[in-house]
Amino acid sequence: MEQNNKQKWSLALVSLPVIIWTLIPVIWIFSLAVKPQANQADNNFWPRGFSLDNFELILFGGASDLFLPALLNSIIVGLIATTISVILATFCAYAIARLNFSGKKMILFVALAVSFFPVISLVTPLFDVWRSIGLFDTIPGLVIPYLSLTLPLSIWILSAFFQQIPWELEQAAQVDGATSWQAFRKVIVPLAAPGVFTTGIITFFTAWNDFVFAISLTSESARTVPAALAFFTGASQFEQPTGAISAAAVIVTIPVVILVLLFQKRIVAGLTSGAVKG
Amino acid sequence: MTTITERPSRRKALTDRARQERALGWKLAGPAFIVMLAVTAYPILQALWLSLFRLRLTDPDSREFVFFGNYQVIFTDSLFYSALLNTLIITVVTVAVELVLGFAIAMLMHRIVLPRRTLRTIVLIPYSIITVVSAFAWLYAFRTDTGFVNEWLNTLTFGAWNTTFDWFGSWAPSMTVIIISEIWKTTPFMSLLLLAGLAQIDGAMEEAAKVDGATFWQRLFRVILPNMKAAIMVALLFRALDAFRIFDNVFVMTRGANNTETLSTLAYKQTIDRVEIGMGSALSVVLFLLVCVIAWIFVRGFNVDLAKGRN
Amino acid sequence: MAMKHKFRRGIAALAAIALAAPLAACSSSDGGTPELMWYINPDGGGSDPHGGGQAEIARLCTEQSGGRYRISVELTPNSSTDQRQQLLRRFAGGDSSLDLVSMDPPFVPEFAQAGYLAPVPEDMIDEFTEDRVESSITAATWDEELVAVPFWANTQLLWYRKSVAEAAGLDMDAGVTWEQITAAAKEQGVTIGVQANRYEGYTVWINALIAGAGGEILTNPGPDLDDVELGLDSDAGQAAANIIREIAQSGVGGPSMGVSDETVALNLFQDPATSGFLVNWPYVWAAFPANNVDFIDDIGWTMFPATDDEGDPAPPFGGISLAVGAFSEHPDLAYEAAQCITSEEMQTLYMLGTGNPASRAAVYANPEVVEQFPMAEMIRDSLEQAVPRPQTQFYGDLSAALQREWSPPSGVNENTPKESAELIMAVLRGERLL
Repeated sequence: MEQNNKQKWSLALVSLPVIIWTLIPVIWIFSLAVKPQANQADNNFWPRGFSLDNFELILFGGASDLFLPALLNSIIVGLIATTISVILATFCAYAIARLNFSGKKMILFVALAVSFFPVISLVTPLFDVWRSIGLFDTIPGLVIPYLSLTLPLSIWILSAFFQQIPWELEQAAQVDGATSWQAFRKVIVPLAAPGVFTTGIITFFTAWNDFVFAISLTSESARTVPAALAFFTGASQFEQPTGAISAAAVIVTIPVVILVLLFQKRIVAGLTSGAVKG
Repeated sequence: MTTITERPSRRKALTDRARQERALGWKLAGPAFIVMLAVTAYPILQALWLSLFRLRLTDPDSREFVFFGNYQVIFTDSLFYSALLNTLIITVVTVAVELVLGFAIAMLMHRIVLPRRTLRTIVLIPYSIITVVSAFAWLYAFRTDTGFVNEWLNTLTFGAWNTTFDWFGSWAPSMTVIIISEIWKTTPFMSLLLLAGLAQIDGAMEEAAKVDGATFWQRLFRVILPNMKAAIMVALLFRALDAFRIFDNVFVMTRGANNTETLSTLAYKQTIDRVEIGMGSALSVVLFLLVCVIAWIFVRGFNVDLAKGRN
Repeated sequence: MAMKHKFRRGIAALAAIALAAPLAACSSSDGGTPELMWYINPDGGGSDPHGGGQAEIARLCTEQSGGRYRISVELTPNSSTDQRQQLLRRFAGGDSSLDLVSMDPPFVPEFAQAGYLAPVPEDMIDEFTEDRVESSITAATWDEELVAVPFWANTQLLWYRKSVAEAAGLDMDAGVTWEQITAAAKEQGVTIGVQANRYEGYTVWINALIAGAGGEILTNPGPDLDDVELGLDSDAGQAAANIIREIAQSGVGGPSMGVSDETVALNLFQDPATSGFLVNWPYVWAAFPANNVDFIDDIGWTMFPATDDEGDPAPPFGGISLAVGAFSEHPDLAYEAAQCITSEEMQTLYMLGTGNPASRAAVYANPEVVEQFPMAEMIRDSLEQAVPRPQTQFYGDLSAALQREWSPPSGVNENTPKESAELIMAVLRGERLL
C-alpha cells in the first residue's frame, strides 16, 4: 500500500490514544502492586514510593500459601485441559480438513454451539454431581468442565489451520520415494506444528482465564488463580488486600504478556481464522 | 446445515471408498465429538431434571417435586427481569461500543505502517489478561479510596467533579464501570475478527472507488462495510453470546449490589450461595434457552452462515 | 520498625513451616502425628505463627499437645459472608479437611441443622461452658444443645474523637443516641464510620438498631419454617430505617458508605481531617498504633449508641465459635485441641495479641489485659447488654434478603422494613429469588 508520509504519521498519531487506553489499566495494576501500604489509598495513578512488600507477601509471606498453590493449580489444570483438547482436536480437525464424510458440518456446528454455552448453566448440575462422586475441589473436577470451553475452540482453530496446509505435498513426497510415515513426519508435521502450537496457546489462555468454574467447583485444593484472587485477604485483618491482589495480578499477567509479545502474529492468525476463515 | 438435504441421495451412491472415508472420519473426529457432548449435554439434562425439584442442600430432607414451580417463581420475580434487563443492557451497549471501537482499531491495524507490530501486540494485551484481573484493575481505579479516576475527572473538569463520587453507590455508575471493564477486555477480540474481514476485501475495489472520487465515508459505507457483512455478523454473534453470560466483572465489582445482578450471577447466587440446587438449575436452563434464542435470531434473522467457508 | 521486624520473623517462621510441611504430611499418612486443619477467620495475626493471633495459638497448642496432634491453619476470606459461602461449599462437598472451624455465630444454626458439625462430647460440655459470658454460650447453642465451643466474644463500641465530642458538647460517658452523634457529626463536619456495604456487617448494624429500639428481627427463634415470624414491620424497624437514612442522606456516613465494611469504616476514622465517630469491634484499638495513627490520645470509647431516648442500647454481639466438622477424621482430637484453643491462657494471649475479647470472664481480670485495654470493663459491660443476631437455620437467606432491601443505605425509606419482611418470608417459602 502506498501511503505518503503525512498519512503515515497521522495514523501513528491516531494509534496513540488506542495504545494509552489499552495500557492504562495495565500500568495501574503495576502501580498498585509497588505502592507501599501507606500510599495504597493516595488516589495517585503513578506510585509515590516503591516497595516490594506486596510481592514478598504473596510469594513468601502470609498470602503465599493461598497464592502459590493456586498458581500451580492454574498451570496444571490449564496444561492438562489444553493437552487433552489439542490432541482430540487435532484428530478431529484432520478428519474435517482432509476427509470427506457426512456429519462434518454437524461436528463444526456442535463445536460452535458448545462454545456459546452459558458456562453458569453447567455449574449447578456439576456442583451437585461432583459433590456426590468426590470430584468437587479436585484437578479432574476442573479439567472436565474446562473441556467444554477449550475443545470446541481447538477444533475450530485447528480445522481452519489444517485447511490451509497444502496436503498435496505429502503425496508428492511419497511419490519421491518417502514412506508415508516419513512423508507425514518430514512434510506434514512441520507444516502443522505452528498451528497446533498456536491453538495450544489460545486454548491455554481460555482455561487460564476461567473464573466461573474455578470459584464454584473448588474450595481450596484445586483453587486456581482467578478464584484465589477474589478471595484474597490482606496481610492482616485491618489491611485491604488491594496491594496483594495487584501483586498477584502482575505475576500472572507477565507470562501471558510475554507469550503475546513472542507469538503476536500467530495468535492473531489463530484467533481470526478460528472465527472467520482468513 | 445445508448438507442435510443432500444426504439421502448421497447415501445411495456411497462407494466403498466413501464409506471407508466416512468411517475413518468418524473414528478420528468421534472422540472429540463425544467428549464435547458429554461435558455439555449431560449436565444440561441433569439441570433439567433437578430444576423440577425444590432442593436445598443444607436441608436434604425437604426435597420435594414441584414440577414447573421453580420456573413459575423465576418468571414472576422482578429480580429475574431486572437481571435480564441488566444482562441485555450490558450485551447491547458493550457490543455496540465494541463494534465501533473495534472497527476503528481494525482499520488502524489494517493500514498502519509505523508502529504496526507494536500496535498489534499492545492491542492483544487486554485479550490475554485474566478477566478477573481486569475487573480488579478497573474496580480499584474507580473506587473512592484507592482510585485515580475521580482525581482525573476532577482535574479535567477544572474541579467541578466531586473527588468523593461513589461509583459503586448506585446502579448507573456501577453498570458504567462494569461495562467499561468488559469493553476494555474484549474489544481486541472484536477488532481481530473485523481485521480478518477487512483483509478479505479486494483492495482493487476500494482503489477504484477512490479513483472515482468517492470520499472516505462513501467508500466506508458503500464498499468496505457491505463487503465485510459476514465478518461483522459473525463478530457480533460471538461477542453478543459472550457478553450475555457476563459474570466475572459483576462478581468482582459489585456482587450484584445496587441492582446490578446479571443472569449468570443470579444463577450462581441460587446454586452456590444459597445451595438451592433446584432453583439454580431452573435458572441455568432458562439461561441456556435464552442463549439458544439469541443464536437463532442471529442465524435466521440476520442470515449468518456460521459454517461459511468450510466444506 | 517493630512491624518490619515482626514481618521478617514471620517470613522466617513461614519458610520453616513450608519446609517442614511436606514432611509432616508424609508422617501423617504413615500414622504419625495426625494433622488437624483449622480454618481461621483473618485476625490481626494473619497466618503468622508468632503474630499473636489464631496462627500462634495453633503453634502453641501443637507444642502443648506433646505430639498428639499438629494444627495447621488455613485462612478464610475477610468478610463473614464469604466465610460462610466458602465453608458451606466445603461442608456440602463433604470435605474431611474441616477439622476445626472458626465460625461466625449466626451461621452455627444452619450448619448444625444440616448435620455438618460433630456433636460436642458430653463430658466436655462443662468445660466448654465454664466461666463464659452467657451470650457466647447462647450463640453456640442450637435446638437446646451446645453444638460449638465458645471461643471469643465480640461486641462493638462507639469510638470517637474526644475533641469532636467536646466541641459538640456531648457527654459521651453518659451514653449517646444515634440522633445525637449524627447531629454532632453534621455540625462539626466529621464522619461516622458504619458498616453498610451489602454484607453481613450491615445486618449486624440493622439488628443492633432494631434491638436498640426494643424490637426483634425474628420474634420466635426455632427450627421450623412454618413457625417463622418477623418483627421488622414495627416501630423499631421504622426507627432503624430513619437512622440509616439520615446518616446516608446527610453524607456523614462518608463518601463510600454504601460499600463500607469494618476496614473502610476504620480507614475513614483514621483520616485525621474528617474523623469523628466510628462503631467498630475492639480490634481497632490494636489497629490504631499498627496503622501509625497519630491522634490515639484523642480517641475515646463508650457504649454503642442507643437507638432512641427511651430504649437501652443493644450493642452487636459477634465473636467466633469453634466448631468441629462432622466429616473430620479426628473429631476427638479436634475437640481436644478446642480445649487448648479456648483455654484461659490462650484466650488471654489472643486478646492481648489481636484485641479480640475473650469469652471467659476471668480474662478481663488479668492485669496485663487491663493495662493494654483500658476499655476492658466497657467491653464486658457491652457484652452483657449485647444482643445476638436472629438464630435460625435460614439465617443465610434471612440476612441476604435483609441486606438486599436495605441497600443502598441512601435508598432506605419508611417502606423498607415492611418490604424486607415480605421479601424474607417469600424467599424462605421459595417464592422469590435472592
